This record gives sequence, C-alpha cells and structure tokens, in this order.
Amino acid sequence: MACLHDHSCEDHNCAADWSLYNHVDIPKVVALNESVPGSVKSVFKPWEQRLDTSGGFLESNEGDPELLVFIPFTSDVKIKSISIVGGADGTSPSRMRAFINREGIDFSDAQNMQPVQEWELAENLQGALEYQTRYSRFQGVANLTLHFSDNFGGDTTKIYYIGLRGEATQNKRDVVATIVYEVMPNPSDHK
Amino acid sequence: MICIDNSEWMRNGDYAPSRFQAQADAVNLICGAKTQSNPENTVGVMTMAGKGVRVLVTPTSDLGKILACMHGLEVGAEANLAAAIQVAQLALKHRQNKRQQQRIIAFIGSPVKYDKKVLETIGKKLKKNNVALDIVDFGESDDEKPEKLEALIAAVNSSDSSHIVHVPPGDNALSDVLLSTPIFTGEEGGSGFAASAAAAAATGASGFEFGVDPNVDPELALALRLSMEEERARQEAIAKKAAEDTENKDHASSSNNDSVMAEAEPATNAADDDKKEQPKDDDDLLQQALAMSMEGGSSGSASVADAAMAEAGAVDPDLALALQMSVQDANMSSDSDMSKVFEDRSFVTSILNSLPGVDPNDPSVKDLLASLHGQGEVRSFLFLS
Repeated sequence: MACLHDHSCEDHNCAADWSLYNHVDIPKVVALNESVPGSVKSVFKPWEQRLDTSGGFLESNEGDPELLVFIPFTSDVKIKSISIVGGADGTSPSRMRAFINREGIDFSDAQNMQPVQEWELAENLQGALEYQTRYSRFQGVANLTLHFSDNFGGDTTKIYYIGLRGEATQNKRDVVATIVYEVMPNPSDHK
Repeated sequence: MICIDNSEWMRNGDYAPSRFQAQADAVNLICGAKTQSNPENTVGVMTMAGKGVRVLVTPTSDLGKILACMHGLEVGAEANLAAAIQVAQLALKHRQNKRQQQRIIAFIGSPVKYDKKVLETIGKKLKKNNVALDIVDFGESDDEKPEKLEALIAAVNSSDSSHIVHVPPGDNALSDVLLSTPIFTGEEGGSGFAASAAAAAATGASGFEFGVDPNVDPELALALRLSMEEERARQEAIAKKAAEDTENKDHASSSNNDSVMAEAEPATNAADDDKKEQPKDDDDLLQQALAMSMEGGSSGSASVADAAMAEAGAVDPDLALALQMSVQDANMSSDSDMSKVFEDRSFVTSILNSLPGVDPNDPSVKDLLASLHGQGEVRSFLFLS
C-alpha cells in the first residue's frame, strides 16, 4: 500500500506532515545488528534532510541483512504512515514488520511473533513512497519496533531515513520509571 | 552471566590450591565487584560441565545467593562451550529489567574442541543480539586455544565491549591477575571497589595521584591537587627570580642558592602549616633539589648528599629538601655564604621586625646581630622562627 506524491511537493508542506521525528526519544533509540553502534540515531531527521547522509546512516553487519530498530517516543503518538529511504544496489530493505509497545524484542522474538502490521517495501531511493498503517491499530504508541527482515539481495542493508507521519498526543504511557534510591553514592551517575 | 568451567581439567593444581578453587575465588571477586559498582547490576552463575550445562542462579543482585550457590560444586565431565553460551544467552534474554546490557563472562580452562568457524558463528550471533563476551583463558593451553578464543572475541566485539584475558599458570593467583584487567574495571574506567582492591593489591595506592583515592575522599584529593599547583607556581616564580638574580649578583651560583633557599624555606614552612601531607611531585622537586646541590658546595659531599637525598627523596620529597638544605649549610659554613645574607642589615632587621616580641633596638638583640657576622650557626635561629 503505497501512495506517490502526485502534487508538486513544496517542502514546507511535506515537512510539517513528517514531523513526528520531533517526538522520538532519540537518545533511547536502539538498533540490533547495526555495524556502527549508535548510527541508528542519525536516521531520524527532518523531511528536507532525508537524502542527506552526512550525519551517518544505519547499516547492518556484513553478510546479514536483518535489522531491528526500537523507537521510543517521548509521548504517545498515533502513526498514520511510515516512509523509508534505503540504499542502492539491493541494500534497500524489502520487508518491514512492526511491533507496538513491546520492549526488549530481539531477533528470535521478532521472527516468531505475529507483527501488528507487515509491509512489502519497494526500493525507495528518493523517499517519495510512504506506507500507510492500519490507523486503528496504531493509536497510543509509546514505542515502535521495526524489523527489517530482508533486502533486495545486497550484502548489507542500508537505511538513510525513517519518516513517521501522524499526530502526537500529550499522554505519556509509563510515567513512573524505575527509581533508584542512592544508599551508596556512585560517582559515575553524577557525571 | 558467569559461566564456570567445572570439568575434569579443573582438578589440576598448577594454580594454587587447585584450578577450580582459583576460579571460584575469581568468580566471587567478580560478583562482588559487579554488584557493588552499580546497584542495578545483576549477576547469574551457571556451570558448563559437571552434571551438565545448567543455571545455578538466575541473574540477581543478591550477593549472598550468588556466593551460596558456588558451594558444593562438583568437578567432572567435559565442558560444552557452545551449549553453555546458548543457555547463557537465553538466561540473559529473560532478564527482568530489559534496559540492562547483556554480558557473558566465560572461564575457559579446558581445551576447546570446536572449530574456529563454529566459534565465529557463535560470536556473530552474540554480536547480532548485542551481547558482550568476556573470556578468561586459563588452565589447559594447547596450540590453537588462544587463537580460537581470540577469533571468537573478534567476532563478538563491537566497539571494544568484549575482552579476553590469558592467565598463564604461576605464582599469582587468578583473581589478582584479573583485578587489573578490563573485565574488572569495566567500561566506565573503574568502580570504587575494583579500583581500590587493585590499589591495595599493588601495595600502596600508587594508582592514584597524591596517594588518595578521589572516590574515597574527594575533598582531600582536591585540596592536595590545589596545593601542589600552588607550590608549582611558586617554584616557577622562584626559579624565574633566581634566573634574574644570577645576572645581577657577583657570586652567581652561591647567591642563586641563597635566595632560592631562603625563599624556598618560608615556602616550605608555609606549606607545612597548611597540610599534613606534602603532595609534591617527586620528579619535579627532586630535579630541582639535585640541581641546587650540584651548583653549590664541594662536589664530593654534594654527590654523597645526592645519593642520600635520592633515596630520601623517593620516600619524602619534603625530607629531601630539608636534607639538601642542611647539606648546603654544612658546605657553606666554611664559605660563610649564609653570613653574607646577614651582612645585609636591612634584610635581617626586616626579618626581626616581622617576628613577634622582638625589638630590634633592644641592646641584647643588637649584640646578637653583631656576633652574627662570620658565624654560620645563626641559621638555626632562623629555622626556629
């Protein structure tokens, strides 16, 4: 389910739509099987910069095209559609499976569990394609896990941009996090 | 998650008292260090051999439970490394706090029967699931074991989070060798427990600047550092002034010594009043002290003094300075260089003025001043003040 932008794409229009990246809790974004730890943070950026790779991009390890991206949000969001910009030469992901509000998913879990929604992706080097979600299932999302299980035959999978379109509510799902009372002062906590 | 090797190879006694005991001590130490370094850390223990690959205690932060489970372990059978790592991964996967980083610490004392390829696949799988691996290679060492294990670590390693330590048999206990490795010190660069244990083991807290653990007493460490910088700045100023003086005065080297020493002395006294410990940098001050002794006095006594001072300086640089000054005085009583200082009446009067309760116009003081000339013993008078 893809729709192309058939109107002349004035940047500011589209940019306003794809603004859910503001609500992504970027320091807590985690990816499994990435070749450069921490590079996943660079794929969340404004719409205008979706093709800009100067900040780095997400690449999987050699010989293993699977990628798992865990995206927490700072408040609950409703996701309307997702856009993915992949790499050239078969390194674009071909299949995407989404899980909602589950922490600590790893590859064996992702392969066995039934996803909330699954998409077949096409090569999308310009970022013109977006994949709509079943909106009723994507209400009140506190964190989103995307599992890219396959690509178009490349050795690795490259992702330059993940765009999310939707609305942010002001609700927060888990307000009380684990609290540690300091019985013993730990200098590394206060750096 | 700690994997213990309790196979038949652990009966060997090349690590005192036996390989298994040494391993058990090391495991206890690691558990203590991990639980202390962060209250949210959890540690689990499992065996690789014996009755089979089984988890003795699931990851918990309760140190007592962990130590208790090590009790009564039997040695026997063969270690199954691949199965053990799989089970460890599973145990870590089902941890209660999903935010914790996953790490496996494996003690491998028996020979490794797997191929390098198999180990590399295992390593890649660990890396894919973001599990770090630390290996302690001890005990049996056939030709290929170190390479195989290095290949495994290379496959798992991502940004230096996995380590391997090879411990050859010898006098050092396994736990002592491990104390200084990154397995203990972790990635933050030292927990208080591990660091202080390492310092104690290394006889003398030479690991820390100024001999004080900044974790234990940060204020004292800060005060020591500040006073050392102050002292350094003062020494530099003195050296600069001394350099100027050498151009002006006739007796170049001796007066250089005089002014440096006269000023170094109140500086030392002031520093003594402030702090009990002298945090002087050994090398810095020792160089200066040796240089000063080289310039003044007869060379013979100076070299003897140098040897004595080098030893004393290693112990206490403050003592070194005092020794050097007294040596200088012994040398100079014949030269009566010090007395030249007192020839400068205004200098002496100014000092006397600064002393409480001494009136320079008092006749007894004037008599004393008159007798000062040509006498070296007056320096003791100044020392007491």
